[in-house]
Amino acid sequence: MENIKEETIHHTAMKLAEEIKNLSIYKSFYSDVQKLVSSPSVKKEDFKQTLQQAMKEKGLDTKLRNTVFHWVRTQNKQNKLDPLTSLSKASAQWEKRIHKSLNSMCSDLETSLAKIRSQSEQEELADKWNELSTYSLDLSKYRPVYAPKDFLDVLLTLSGYVPFTKEDEPKWEFAHLPLQVKTLDQLRKIYQEWANGEPLLGVNPNMPSTVPGFATLEAERIGLGERVAVLGYAPVIQEYLKKGSPQCLRAKLWSQVLGADVKQQQIIYFNQLKKNVLEVDLMIDKLIFKDVQLTASNDDQYFVFEDLLYQVMLCFSRDGEAARAAGASALRVAVKGRHAPDCLIAFPPSGVIPFHGFTMYATPFCYLYDDPVQLYFMFRAFYMRYWHRLHYISTHPQGIVSLCLLYERLLEANEPLLWIHFRNININPIRVVFKWLMRAFSGHLPPDQLLLLWDAILGYDCLEILPLLALAILSFRKENIFQVNTLQNVDAVLADLSTISVIPLLQLALMKS
Amino acid sequence: MNPEGKKMAASLYGRVNAPTERCRVSFCTDMEKSVLMSNFERRGWHQVGPDDEWNFYWASTQTCRNLFSVESGYRMNDNQMINHFPNHYELSRKDLLVKNIKRYRKELEREGSPLAEKAEVVLHGGQVVTRYVHLDFIPVTFVLPADYNMFVEEYRKSPQSTWIMKPCGKSQGTGIFLINKLSKLKKWSREAKAPFHPQLSKESYVISRYIDNPLLIGGKKFDLRLYVLVTSFRPLKAYMFQLGFCRFCTVKYDTSVTELDNMYVHLTNVSVQKHGGDYNSIHGGKMSVQNLRLFLEGTRGRAVTEKLFAAIQWLIVHSLKAVSSVMANDRHCFECYGYDIIIDNQLKPWLVEVNASPSLTSTTVNDRIMKYKLIDNILSVVLPPEGVPDVRWNKVPSFEALGNFDLLIDEELLEKEDSTNSTSRTSKNNKK
Ligand SMILES: Nc1ncnc2c1ncn2[C@@H]1O[C@H](COP(=O)(O)OP(=O)(O)O)[C@@H](O)[C@H]1O
Ligand SMILES: [Mg+2]
Repeated sequence: MENIKEETIHHTAMKLAEEIKNLSIYKSFYSDVQKLVSSPSVKKEDFKQTLQQAMKEKGLDTKLRNTVFHWVRTQNKQNKLDPLTSLSKASAQWEKRIHKSLNSMCSDLETSLAKIRSQSEQEELADKWNELSTYSLDLSKYRPVYAPKDFLDVLLTLSGYVPFTKEDEPKWEFAHLPLQVKTLDQLRKIYQEWANGEPLLGVNPNMPSTVPGFATLEAERIGLGERVAVLGYAPVIQEYLKKGSPQCLRAKLWSQVLGADVKQQQIIYFNQLKKNVLEVDLMIDKLIFKDVQLTASNDDQYFVFEDLLYQVMLCFSRDGEAARAAGASALRVAVKGRHAPDCLIAFPPSGVIPFHGFTMYATPFCYLYDDPVQLYFMFRAFYMRYWHRLHYISTHPQGIVSLCLLYERLLEANEPLLWIHFRNININPIRVVFKWLMRAFSGHLPPDQLLLLWDAILGYDCLEILPLLALAILSFRKENIFQVNTLQNVDAVLADLSTISVIPLLQLALMKS
Repeated sequence: MNPEGKKMAASLYGRVNAPTERCRVSFCTDMEKSVLMSNFERRGWHQVGPDDEWNFYWASTQTCRNLFSVESGYRMNDNQMINHFPNHYELSRKDLLVKNIKRYRKELEREGSPLAEKAEVVLHGGQVVTRYVHLDFIPVTFVLPADYNMFVEEYRKSPQSTWIMKPCGKSQGTGIFLINKLSKLKKWSREAKAPFHPQLSKESYVISRYIDNPLLIGGKKFDLRLYVLVTSFRPLKAYMFQLGFCRFCTVKYDTSVTELDNMYVHLTNVSVQKHGGDYNSIHGGKMSVQNLRLFLEGTRGRAVTEKLFAAIQWLIVHSLKAVSSVMANDRHCFECYGYDIIIDNQLKPWLVEVNASPSLTSTTVNDRIMKYKLIDNILSVVLPPEGVPDVRWNKVPSFEALGNFDLLIDEELLEKEDSTNSTSRTSKNNKK
């Protein structure tokens, strides 16, 4: 019995070791261990013991553990094909449509999808890399390829949405899609700490601490958070984030949980992406410029970060890792002006055709990192773990379709009167919250509130908090919603979220009254 | 509903209970600014002319000075209030502000106060100078032409530094220019004395060390506009509004000589920036102070951020103390000052100037909301709970009445606290 157990452990360890060899950190990790072995602290006589001890002291032990943690998290059964062929078909069709409209935009504007930049253009771009807001481009003819509203329309066709006709009852629900979503009670089990009414950051910073030695909850969280950060053990940090991080520790803790810290290797990688931006002119670069302009540049919370965002978003479009994580299929396109054999590239390498507001997935990180490389890797890590699910069609339980369905179910079950009101005024309730969900509330909530919300996403490692917050906001404002009966007016009731306190609202929704 | 929920509901839906002083207060104003008028209207006040019987006058500084002048012979009764102190210029004129602060420091020094401690510091250029440890919050400044010789002496100590010339009596960035050579100043003074510019020769200027290492965000210079409400100078009672903002330049900061005359690089005044080609009228180059704090805490850490904001409060309190002895502390007056503060890249705040009539024009939607709240909160702090001006009131607003104001200092309360419980409790400002 013992034997069998040991054998399976051995087997797993071998498999893990193989996997780790394929990871990008392997080379530097291996050489660190080699250095350690040749140091006097490791003794030949007691090799295993002393090496383990030395690895602990040098932090290599934590690094190895975190590496395994991050690897395991990427292995979630996600790679299985979507079981619903109808969805994967729809998804393929949608992508085709986007590509088609890109192509036609290209021919209208008499430009190509990809071409080599002229020498002078490369130089100008390189010169202005740190102030791309002054890089002059005529973007007046460029329009975002699509907006959340268009994406929603596509999703609604999946659900069999039939526009209302007098005879016909409107059918809105995603309900007939054979997807499992949680009930509020099941969510309470996940967000257990919240549901139990445990003290959370973001409710009242002066709330007294229950731990001796600390005056306030905030002081307590900072004290604990500093220790957790030094420990550097990702699963512990994840646990810590469930109750919210103080802003002063967030940058560190987030990058530790996602394994997104920046070393020499990341800097080289980022510069590679930058080089590619400078060399090749992708048609979507203009769309990226346009999107940063339309979103961040006109927003009083983010305009100061405009130049940082151009860099990050442009580099992201060149990053093939992003496409791999999302399982996206990109076009193959020839770069005009480049010779075979390497003239064919994935278009765009990231697989993401930016939609209106795509930049919002990156903007909040500007309040945590002022270095473009750090900002980049944090944004990318979030994208690869979470955000791609919000703009691709899939049956994943964290995917946008499931989140929409969850929202509908929650609303119907917990705010039946609101549900009926929406029916009576013939508005599909998903319409009024969809942009929140698709952008994970970025650009809708003020940054301090948004960061608290995203703590919870990391802490519980799931996106179900988004539909739950949508529900909570609706019920908070229901009296005002009851008084209006057009989509425009409901939107007006919900337009300004600047006064919303996210954490108390969510905790109230999760606590049984 | 928990208190937070209540607060949310209140801020979401505005205050539900309408004030009760309907039609009992008559107001008069020189400025029909919409953020003012809508506040007066919401309180149900009725408007009268300056010669009628008014309870509340929102006046220009000029009107206020006239009212208080001996010639006017006007005497206010107990139910009248006005929004300026008659000699606000002790604080708001650039030359007088500097003069008062210099005097204040000297006085403290003479008393042997620990506040006036001095120490030697080494500047960029290796030059060693003596500075006040706790009261070094205005850039070295001289009044021209009066202090010309003193200025030249200081200039010679570090001839590579840049200086900024500002006319004492102007605002909104008008008449300001930078100087990096003495010859440029000489040339300017010759031209100013020229016969066709007689008006210039009379005008006095301040010349201040230019803070050439401002904290930059996104590569751009900014300063803070903070609102400080004073309801009394002796004892000093002051409040700071939480919703201040940063005013950003539209062009990247650049210290090269060729950009010395480019005001879009160096002056943060909205009145200057809005003429620039890169001005964005949606956000108006304004970012909230709360977001600045969030950014600094996130990228620089908590300790330095707390220290900066504590230093800002410290600076404001001492600038007020510096003028408290010379201010005509009329009980009918209150005043809301617009503080201009620059933060340098060592996260040290510098007081640039104090405005007695900060702009109430709204450049953006958020600006309008913020300024509306500012006026609303000012009214609720300066008025007694019944809502009718009354100089006999003790000027201790309730916690609810503060709205978005935080108490900066109330010397009367401090004194009471000190005498009632001798076990010293630390005041808000001494926390750090
Ligand atoms: N000593 C200084 N160092 C750096 N910048 C300064 C300095 N003094 C003024 N400025 C800049 O010039 C602007 C205008 O100066 P200020 O003294 O406020 O005069 P005004 O009354 O014209 O507004 C300030 O907002 C600030 O951006
Ligand atoms: Mg000014």
